[in-house]
Amino acid sequence: MIELSHVSVVYRKGEENEKCALKNATLRVAEGDFVIIVGPNGAGKSTLMKVLLCELAPTIGTYTLNGRAMRGFSVTQVARWVGRVFQDPNSGIFPDLSILENLSIASKKGIRGLRFRSCPQKAVTLLSRLGLGLENTLNVRAGDLSGGQKQALAMVMAIISDPKVLLLDEHTASLDPKSSVKVMELTRQINEQFGITVVMITHNMPFAEQYGNRKWRIEEGEVFEYEYRPPLRRTHLETPVVLLRDQPHYEPKLV
Amino acid sequence: MLGIVEQGLILGLMSIGVFVSFRIVNMADLTVDGTFALGGALCVRLFSLGLNAPISLLLSLLAGASAGVLTGYLHRKLRINVLLAGILVMTMLYSINLRIMDGPNLPIPKSSVSSSLGTYEQVAGKDPLADLFESSAPVAKPQKETTRQRTYQNIFRGMADGQDLFLLSVIILIGVTLTGLFLRTELGTALRGFGTNPSGLESFGLPKTLMTLLGLGLANGFVSLAGGIFALYSGFADVTMGQGMIVTGLAVVMVGEILLVKKKIVYGLFAPILGGIVYQGILAVVMRYGYRIGFRASDMKLLTAIFIVAVIGFGLVSTNKRMKGKFRLSTIFGGGVSRD
Ligand SMILES: Nc1ncnc2c1ncn2[C@@H]1O[C@H](COP(=O)(O)OP(=O)(O)OP(=O)(O)O)[C@@H](O)[C@H]1O
Ligand SMILES: [Mg+2]
Repeated sequence: MIELSHVSVVYRKGEENEKCALKNATLRVAEGDFVIIVGPNGAGKSTLMKVLLCELAPTIGTYTLNGRAMRGFSVTQVARWVGRVFQDPNSGIFPDLSILENLSIASKKGIRGLRFRSCPQKAVTLLSRLGLGLENTLNVRAGDLSGGQKQALAMVMAIISDPKVLLLDEHTASLDPKSSVKVMELTRQINEQFGITVVMITHNMPFAEQYGNRKWRIEEGEVFEYEYRPPLRRTHLETPVVLLRDQPHYEPKLV
Repeated sequence: MLGIVEQGLILGLMSIGVFVSFRIVNMADLTVDGTFALGGALCVRLFSLGLNAPISLLLSLLAGASAGVLTGYLHRKLRINVLLAGILVMTMLYSINLRIMDGPNLPIPKSSVSSSLGTYEQVAGKDPLADLFESSAPVAKPQKETTRQRTYQNIFRGMADGQDLFLLSVIILIGVTLTGLFLRTELGTALRGFGTNPSGLESFGLPKTLMTLLGLGLANGFVSLAGGIFALYSGFADVTMGQGMIVTGLAVVMVGEILLVKKKIVYGLFAPILGGIVYQGILAVVMRYGYRIGFRASDMKLLTAIFIVAVIGFGLVSTNKRMKGKFRLSTIFGGGVSRD
């Protein structure tokens, strides 16, 4: 579904301090995959993410999503197929708006019209399934939520209009261990129950071991795949909804 | 007294524009000074060319909105810092306004062609803010006589007339209602979202450029409409009438927000209106009794600016989370720059 072929990214090309952040990466992600990306600071992980988001066009090489060459696409255009959640809990939501208004913005794609905003039932259902209790406080200002709740809301917002792939750049990094686990379980749910492909960057090694079926390590711009198993494919109906509230409390060791 | 409320309403209408750019879209748009005068100049020009007042106002509104759109375009497409883009357009408008009026000011013609320039010139040199607030200004009552050759009458009859108050209230009510309704639509909600997280909105498929143009267009439309109304109301337009409007507007918004504490009526659009009336009231008092402590009309801008500094610096509006000290300081002085 995602195909990168011989992609290199060079920052400040031609200048004396030019930086090759991604070197000749040829990568493939299939539908339903849960990709984990690890690597030291400055290795080029976020750069790869920017390419996938069309924030950055590869200096060399091609990026194909769903069989469509992505060269020339803008961030707003690619938003139709790609959802994203980043490290800063305020970056994925609209802090001054209520949860309901946030969901209503997220539940549409492309240019909006002059119809009164609405929030599809699906959004509220999704939110209530997560067991965060957010469905009862829809008029609360999103900026007043806790970091973990913000990230959960951001994830719901990112997947509500059925993107092909969800891109996560250290989305648990600013959360406490408990909230991180919740958010990771939510990520797993999104992948397994809704069949949304996930590409996730993390510095948390326990998470990198525990989750994902395809694992990449990036070092100085070079990408290696160090683990692969076929993705778990379950249908929506067979899977009982796991309520996060009922999850055993597991405290991962932070690396 | 009536005059104070009326002028307060006009000031409030203008400040809604400032509210839209600073609070909703979260961009420090300085075009305002130019668009206020543009609204006045164009409206008086069109009116004296024989268009009726509502159409003149509508066209001024559109012209102001285009000026806002231009600022947005310079900022987004040509990547000019939003403060500079606003100043550039404001400067362009200064020359354009002089062209429109064919001079530094333009009175609404009275009964004959040899109009009221004589009386007007006495005022022209004065601080425009002073005109706005002195109900006894000589230009205040040019509208009592009607022109014979002209088909249309000014919709405003002059100061201290209950009908003006009614008309102004209706215009404000319509403006606030329409904007309030707009902010409830999908596009309007997105615009509010844009104000709090512009890049975030991109990941939901809405380009920054579009939202910027929309927000600044709307904001400057309000300002320009207020400029037109002010010109019709006071009987003339002047190229300096917009000077310092951004500061006044900001002060008005803050006064309203302080008074309403945390409450947001119609997405906060009510704050500038209340603020406008109160600000105007304070001003009238200062004007009337201020001379006793050696205060001059021209000191008002200094006071207004100090007020804003105080509000931001000491976080006077800190009851409202959105506007806590430091955060707002950066939004106002670095707005739209750091948020790219
Ligand atoms: N806009 C830019 N201009 C120039 N160089 C850049 C730019 N963005 C990133 N780089 C450089 O590219 C390299 C890779 O950066 P990148 O952000 O992809 O790292 P990362 O793997 O995400 O690191 P971290 O774990 O700290 O998030 C770094 O050396 C960085 O300095
Ligand atoms: Mg990174």
